[in-house]
Amino acid sequence: MNNWEYAESVESTSIVNIEKKYGIFIDGKFQTANSKKFIKTVSPSTEELLSSVTVGNKNDINDAVESAKEGLKIWTKFSGTERAKYLFKLARLIQERSREFAVLESIDGGKPIKESRDFDLPQVAANFFYFAGWADKLELSWNTKGLKPYGIVGQIIPWNFPLLMLSWKVAPALATGNVVILKPAESTPLTALLFAELCQEVGLPPGVFNLVTGDGTTGAALVQHPDISKIAFTGSTAVGKYIQNETAERDIGLTLELGGKAANIVFNDAAIDQAVEGVVNGIFFNQGHVCCAGSRLVLQEDIHDEFVSKLEKRMQSLRLGNPLDKNTDIGAINSKDQLDKISKLVNEGIEEGGSIFQTECELPQNGFWFKPTLFTNAQPSYRIAREEIFGPVLTTLTFRTPEEAIEISNNTEYGLSAGIWTEKGSKILWVADRLQAGVIWANTFNKFDPSSPFGGYKESGFGREGGRHGLLSYLKVQ
Amino acid sequence: MNEIKKTYKNYVGGKYVRSESGKTFRIELKNDFYEVPLTSRKDIRDAVVAAKKGFNDWQKLTPYNKTQVLYRLSEMLEGNFETYQQILQDAGLTKAKASDDIHKALDSLIWYAGMADKWEQMTGNLNPVSGDFFNISHQEALGVVFTLNSNEQSLNKLLLNMLPALTTGCSVISFNEDNSILALKLAEDINNSDLPGGALNIMSGKFELLIDDVSNHVEITAMAIYKEITIKEKTIIRQNASKSLKRIFVNPPTSGLEALLPFIDTKTVWHPKGR
Repeated sequence: MNNWEYAESVESTSIVNIEKKYGIFIDGKFQTANSKKFIKTVSPSTEELLSSVTVGNKNDINDAVESAKEGLKIWTKFSGTERAKYLFKLARLIQERSREFAVLESIDGGKPIKESRDFDLPQVAANFFYFAGWADKLELSWNTKGLKPYGIVGQIIPWNFPLLMLSWKVAPALATGNVVILKPAESTPLTALLFAELCQEVGLPPGVFNLVTGDGTTGAALVQHPDISKIAFTGSTAVGKYIQNETAERDIGLTLELGGKAANIVFNDAAIDQAVEGVVNGIFFNQGHVCCAGSRLVLQEDIHDEFVSKLEKRMQSLRLGNPLDKNTDIGAINSKDQLDKISKLVNEGIEEGGSIFQTECELPQNGFWFKPTLFTNAQPSYRIAREEIFGPVLTTLTFRTPEEAIEISNNTEYGLSAGIWTEKGSKILWVADRLQAGVIWANTFNKFDPSSPFGGYKESGFGREGGRHGLLSYLKVQ
Repeated sequence: MNEIKKTYKNYVGGKYVRSESGKTFRIELKNDFYEVPLTSRKDIRDAVVAAKKGFNDWQKLTPYNKTQVLYRLSEMLEGNFETYQQILQDAGLTKAKASDDIHKALDSLIWYAGMADKWEQMTGNLNPVSGDFFNISHQEALGVVFTLNSNEQSLNKLLLNMLPALTTGCSVISFNEDNSILALKLAEDINNSDLPGGALNIMSGKFELLIDDVSNHVEITAMAIYKEITIKEKTIIRQNASKSLKRIFVNPPTSGLEALLPFIDTKTVWHPKGR
């Protein structure tokens, strides 16, 4: 009999060089911070200590702001085309060192190398290319000369797509003539630190890009600094609300990309096998650490049994394990905290009465892992059907009529994304018109592009990133 | 001759209503004074219910239909030119200034009427994504918008404070203080213009009494502040707004495409191409 077992194919880590300790990047160079506090960053797949990074404090943020002021003086004098050249150069360098970034991202964040290599990094480079080209066409973008950059922009990004979120934030901000102070997530700072090296390499003027690593206290100091005229944040809805509240006294710009609980609606006239594939991709991509993940499967009642059985079979074929193995589909959960949160919500789902299915697979001894999980028999009132789990957990709800599907899908304070699976074109458009969500994928899911605006309705935040609309997040109307 | 004096009421859900509280406040003009409704917290809640229905009905009209409704409002306005002139003169404007203001108001109305069926062509577009996908971004109206209008005695300003949100398909709760007579008079023309009930609601009162009730109301999706307010007031509004991530716009633009941008959300739809 043939042996169909996969042979391991592990990406070498010799390409990356991780320092024992990192300072912060201000005035165009790495410096020792005022803060003497460090946090350890570990690999979530092995729990191995990778490095210690600075927890920037108020004085560090003050220094970053002073640096940004100097940077702004220079950056403002450049023409759009000059700014474009720097961004194009950054895009090229990212492409050239793409493998190094991908390996580092997988080590630090736990995501499968196949995703960091084939999704994150190509998208990062594409973002810099795309926004580079806008830098000298801003007046054409919205047919007005009345749009002006904010000045100093504070950006706070999450741990699920560390470098990709950096590119979503930094590329449009610099293209539009702003300067940046970036605070990466505390559990995934390494690729941002490597990006700072690239800024040195392309000769980006000092102070145009500043990086202060740290935790929530660092983020709070950035948000509170009176000379920051725009905050762009991606993360939880709770923190988004905190930021809007904290900045209430100031007339500043805000872009908030927050949580989601996306409905992935499958009608009985969908191409079932494609839909199964799309639903799996929708929730298990990046271990479900995706704000727009299709975490609610909204299934037409008459295909429930057939669909669920196909879905379970497909889930069983997902390979969980070493993120650096090129065969791995499901990597490590990003942190112990996140793993605890997922476990807690899943246990509550069982207690509330949901039927749980988990794939049979062996979890590695060390690191943070969670089996791909499917809930059926769930009610819309269950916490697993309402709250963002941010993990590989899918909750199934059923409907009979299209109207009911809309009602279930919109019955959430979130409004980031949604999916529609049907072979009937008119039904797609009818449903898309009624879904309260900023991004709608029809007969596909989790597709991204620098030219395609991303962002939510309702409590999923405001502002868009990407595309022509993304420029408006960094330009104020005069 | 013993003149009949008009009682001005709030205009909510297509009906003229007094404040449920029975309270009024006095507006003194040059030649006359009026008691107008002092809008209460309950009145605001009722207005939001009406505006939610109004949003539904107004938004579903075709853009062509919206254009005609707004154009009809200009026809109604023109017919009452002299009444507006009188109110503005009574509020202290010279006859020439009043006339000029009304002409400007009519021009603003015509501009926005013609915009209702065009703005989407300026804000939306196909996105040139990599790969075989049809990808389009278009815009939708936010929902119920509360506008705190400028206190200036100007029909043009008044219209420019409500039209940007209304033109996108939002329903509007238009709140007025010193210029309430002008606004409540305008309600009569709105009533005759075929706007669905609740799409545009006109209220009078003191905003300082309602600042918490309005900014805390989760079903008001956005607030546009066209009046000068204090930093303290802005802070309260934005702090309350943060509980439900309400969109707050302080002195947003009133002309050009930029005026409409605060009141729309971008929806992007993807579909694969294939055989």
